[in-house]
Amino acid sequence: MSQLNADQQAFQSHLMTGDPEVSASIVGDAKADAATRLEVYYQAYRLRLVEILQNDFTGVHALLGTDAFRDMVLSYIAAHPSEHPSVRWFGRHLAAFLARPPYAEHPELAEMAQFEWAWAHAFDATDEITVGPDAMADVAPEAWAGLRVTAHPSLQRLALNYNVPALFEAATRDADPPALVGEPDALTWILWRRDLIVHWRSLDADEAWALDAAVQGQTFGELCAGLCGWHDPDAVPLRAASLLRTWLEDGLLSGIDT
Amino acid sequence: MSQQQVSGGRQSLGFGLGLRTTHYEDVIENRPPVDWFEIISENYMVAGGKPLHFLDRIRADYPMVMHGVSLSVGSTAPLDRDYLQRLKTLAGRVQPEWISDHLCWTGVAGKNMHDLLPLPYTEEAIEHVAERVRQVQDCLGRQILLENVSSYVTWRGSQVHEWEFLTAIAEAADCLLLVDVNNIYVSSQNHSFDPLAYLDALPAHRVRQFHLAGHSHNGELIIDTHDHPVPDPVWSLYAEAVSRFGEVATMIERDADIPPLAELLDELEEARRISGQTLEAAA
Repeated sequence: MSQLNADQQAFQSHLMTGDPEVSASIVGDAKADAATRLEVYYQAYRLRLVEILQNDFTGVHALLGTDAFRDMVLSYIAAHPSEHPSVRWFGRHLAAFLARPPYAEHPELAEMAQFEWAWAHAFDATDEITVGPDAMADVAPEAWAGLRVTAHPSLQRLALNYNVPALFEAATRDADPPALVGEPDALTWILWRRDLIVHWRSLDADEAWALDAAVQGQTFGELCAGLCGWHDPDAVPLRAASLLRTWLEDGLLSGIDT
Repeated sequence: MSQQQVSGGRQSLGFGLGLRTTHYEDVIENRPPVDWFEIISENYMVAGGKPLHFLDRIRADYPMVMHGVSLSVGSTAPLDRDYLQRLKTLAGRVQPEWISDHLCWTGVAGKNMHDLLPLPYTEEAIEHVAERVRQVQDCLGRQILLENVSSYVTWRGSQVHEWEFLTAIAEAADCLLLVDVNNIYVSSQNHSFDPLAYLDALPAHRVRQFHLAGHSHNGELIIDTHDHPVPDPVWSLYAEAVSRFGEVATMIERDADIPPLAELLDELEEARRISGQTLEAAA
């Protein structure tokens, strides 16, 4: 190992764990001793990453409060040091981290992290056109059964038991939060970006199934067959067409292909 | 908008600001009198959405330079070729006047500390960093600017002064320099050296950009926090830099407690005034 490499390994070890080995390689003087000087880097490393996650996970911060959030992030930094050149990706393990003890006792924390990470993906996903409801008029009657859709790249889907979207909205607006409410059955939520703004809404069970199926490449005919699990067969074509129109109006789709 | 000054046979870009998200709308709506903007490269290494939308819109109206924080050119870890490729792709989009990063390292062993960490000023480090700067320049197909960082420690193994280290690397790698005036001031206070000796030693023909910023006091040490206006000692050192290097592209760098754009424009006007006054006195 070169001297430079040894120095950098020792310095980084100090940053990550407080390992004092590197202090023998640092000059102290009347202004400040080696430990005081190294402490600047030790604290800055943590402070910077706490600030980054506080910015990226406003909702988790609001749920925990500033002190508990900082303590949580310090544990997270130790468990998942950054391995990416951009801090954009530093929070990628946070939802899984919060799903483990001791934070697993409050499942809303992991759910909020999951929601906020999905929000981040919707925010900077690849740009792509969206297709509006006018496109439905161009579909020939005989082409409907084989129609397939392409989801906009920003579309994210997740299942939540807690009302974290409402709590997130309050946190980002610095408003009084609603009471935390948990339901035994998870609700499906989607997030997507339209005109640079991230939107989200919940889905009924039949729409959640149909959107999943459509995004995975099933045809309109197959969606209709599947929706019979929720609706009378006579009502299914109308429900399926209504869902498609809603997706197009919302800007969830970047293509329909017959 | 891109009013350029000629100095020493080179054109200067003039007076710029770091582009920050809180100012996007103001910049687009009001087209402030800023000659150019500097972007943090990593903030735009994303697939799409607002960051690239505003980047393209503002780039249409202003020259830009790209400033990175993750090149880690001083690290003993292998150069991150994936990062370099993304930097090159972004440069293709932005068509920047130049690309800069810091004379530092940000991590080893696959980790990123997201800090501008200090190097020992040794022959070994000079050779190592110069070779990597050459590799980066070969990859990007252009010279890069290296920026001096603030530091709070001195490695016991250091064999030369920081300014000698920076100069030796710039000469060996044939790269250009981004002189951060605040960083020189901060380090001069933390390590008790004469900041004018630093400026005197730098190769003037390589200096392409100045950074100006504020800092914070933490006990006996000064910390490079970029959360305050440019203080008087940094303005004074800036005048000294202008007197040595001429009209060099100058930028106010603010990263925390970011004020309304108008306040930064006032600071930029002060930079214009000091630069003009210094050059006039030297004429």
